[in-house]
Amino acid sequence: MIDRLISISTTDPDDARRKKLLNILLLGLGVITFILIVVMIFSILGQSAQEGAYLVVYGGIALLLGMAVIFFLNRILPGRIAATLFLTLITGIMIFSDSAHDVSNGRSLFIFTIPIIMASVLLTPASSFIFGIVSSAIISVLAISIKEEPNSPAIAGYFLVALIAWLSSRNLEQALLELRSINLNLDKVVEEKTKELATTLSRELILAGRNRAILDSIADGVIVFDEFNTAILANPALGKLADVPAQGIINRTITDFIQSDLLSPATRGTLLGMLENPQAAGSGIRIDWGNKTLSTSFAQVRDTEGKGIGTVAVFRDVTHEVELEKMKNTFIGIVSHELRTPLNAILGYAEILKEGVYGSVTEKQKNISERIMANSSRLLHIVSDLLDEVQIEAGKLKIQMVSCNPVDLLDNLRSVMDKITADKGLEFITEIDPSLPPVLMGDPQRLQQIMVNLSNNAVKFTDKGSIRVKLSRLDEQNWQIQTVDTGEGIPEEAKDYIFESFRQVKAAATRQHGGVGLGLSIVKQLVELMKGKITVDSKVGGGSIFTITLPLIMPLEIESITETEKE
Amino acid sequence: MSDHLALIIEDDEDLSEIFGQALTAAGFTIEIIRDGLLAQERLKEIVPTVITLDMHIPHISGDILLTQIRADDRLAKTRVVVTTADAQMGEATRGHADLVLIKPITFSQLRDLTARLKPQS
Repeated sequence: MIDRLISISTTDPDDARRKKLLNILLLGLGVITFILIVVMIFSILGQSAQEGAYLVVYGGIALLLGMAVIFFLNRILPGRIAATLFLTLITGIMIFSDSAHDVSNGRSLFIFTIPIIMASVLLTPASSFIFGIVSSAIISVLAISIKEEPNSPAIAGYFLVALIAWLSSRNLEQALLELRSINLNLDKVVEEKTKELATTLSRELILAGRNRAILDSIADGVIVFDEFNTAILANPALGKLADVPAQGIINRTITDFIQSDLLSPATRGTLLGMLENPQAAGSGIRIDWGNKTLSTSFAQVRDTEGKGIGTVAVFRDVTHEVELEKMKNTFIGIVSHELRTPLNAILGYAEILKEGVYGSVTEKQKNISERIMANSSRLLHIVSDLLDEVQIEAGKLKIQMVSCNPVDLLDNLRSVMDKITADKGLEFITEIDPSLPPVLMGDPQRLQQIMVNLSNNAVKFTDKGSIRVKLSRLDEQNWQIQTVDTGEGIPEEAKDYIFESFRQVKAAATRQHGGVGLGLSIVKQLVELMKGKITVDSKVGGGSIFTITLPLIMPLEIESITETEKE
Repeated sequence: MSDHLALIIEDDEDLSEIFGQALTAAGFTIEIIRDGLLAQERLKEIVPTVITLDMHIPHISGDILLTQIRADDRLAKTRVVVTTADAQMGEATRGHADLVLIKPITFSQLRDLTARLKPQS
């Protein structure tokens, strides 16, 4: 309340300070004056009053009134004017506060230092000198009026006080100014920073909102786990895929999240493994979630310094694609199977005709029968290739490991290839390096298929020269099948895709050489099923070398492995 | 006429004809049955030297028939040639059959192979 009484708000902080200080002085002096008046009244009533008590009472009342007027003027006029009036008032009262002798030369000389000091803080610091002059003038005039000498030491004292008041007040004012300028700068900085912060914050909010909207409209399920494997973000699509509301996922751990009845224990294990080591797990892993098939990818989330701060998982519904794939595979499987039976019949009848079972045939008819057989065989190969491709893709093709003899493998190969190569005027060479063991483990039917496919491929692209198939031991753990031809070679850019399904170096090659472009693709897939690898070395015009490297397993090893498994 | 009987169990009309011709050429007297149940009944009466057995036949599947043949002491000397288009199925029966042929099976292939199964008399 006192603060409200003494504080006056103005735009000029110096003026406000001056007004406040003046109010404090007015209030303090007012209280003292009031007490003085009361004491004097009691002393008059108690007959103990000294001479001049009435004068003190009247003077006191006049002072109170004067101060009240200044108090109100202080509210409406500039603080400097009110302060000047106040200082004038108290200086005036001081003149009459004692006898003329005591004021000018005696005990009351000191009281004039009060307005001098006050002036330095209430007005400008230099105004202490003005009140020094005024006070000196007053005591000089008073002294002369009672025929006394003006008191020079007192005048000198006033100026000394004025000097000290000026110096201290000026220092104070300067400190205040500095403080105010610091404050002002500080205010500016705070304002700027606040503005900046507000802009950044609103931009972040817009960005966050936009990111959220993007995340919400993605059709794939997205979930983010922090470093403690607790879900911190999930979009509505994830909720739909996992059959739980997206909000119910947040703040739950991965273990909670995958504790659904819709997941098999094996799938749970897969997911945990992917979370443990997202990089090793690879992407697009398919899992069954209830009646849906989801393609899953995990990736580590890293901060700007590359430190792992969590994991993001993306789930895509591939149920439809998987169904289509299954349908495609079933369809091709049925079609291929159904094609083989009538083709077998055509092949068989043509051969019966050729063999003269139904009566003797002319040379021309025999020739035609052979053409029918050759074309049926070609068609059968294509169908078989398609069936193999589908079975490999569906993971149904199994490699049978039995002991087989490299000599038999090459004999069987020759029985298929001798006629084909001879018909084209090519030399067909087969050789076995002595380093190769006489018996090794493998799938003879599939090894045969690999060698026939590679040899057929070589025949297709070789017009003159030879085709060489060589079996050899590479090192302690591996053996090799190599086909070397003297054909047209493979362009550098084609080496990347010759092993892909339905691809041939030139589209024209398909028409020229027949086949659907599955031969090498099947070879590669079979080799991979046997845990081997295939490479090609070729130059355009310089022939091609296909090298297959397979793990060397001796019959004994298989037995001991089986024995160990039995135990 | 040969006294060696070959029973052809094959539901496809054309293939049974071709197999029949091949086995005739190999020196067998042939009999063709296109149904699993009929084959089962007929096998109670005859003792063929060779049986070609398709795995996909009506009423009784080929592998059941194969098990029954192998369990029958009367047929202990009978040679069974499994003919199938399914390589996996062929592999599965390899232990019980004397020979497994994966379709396509050519005339000359069957003729030459079965000729070897005929006891030299």
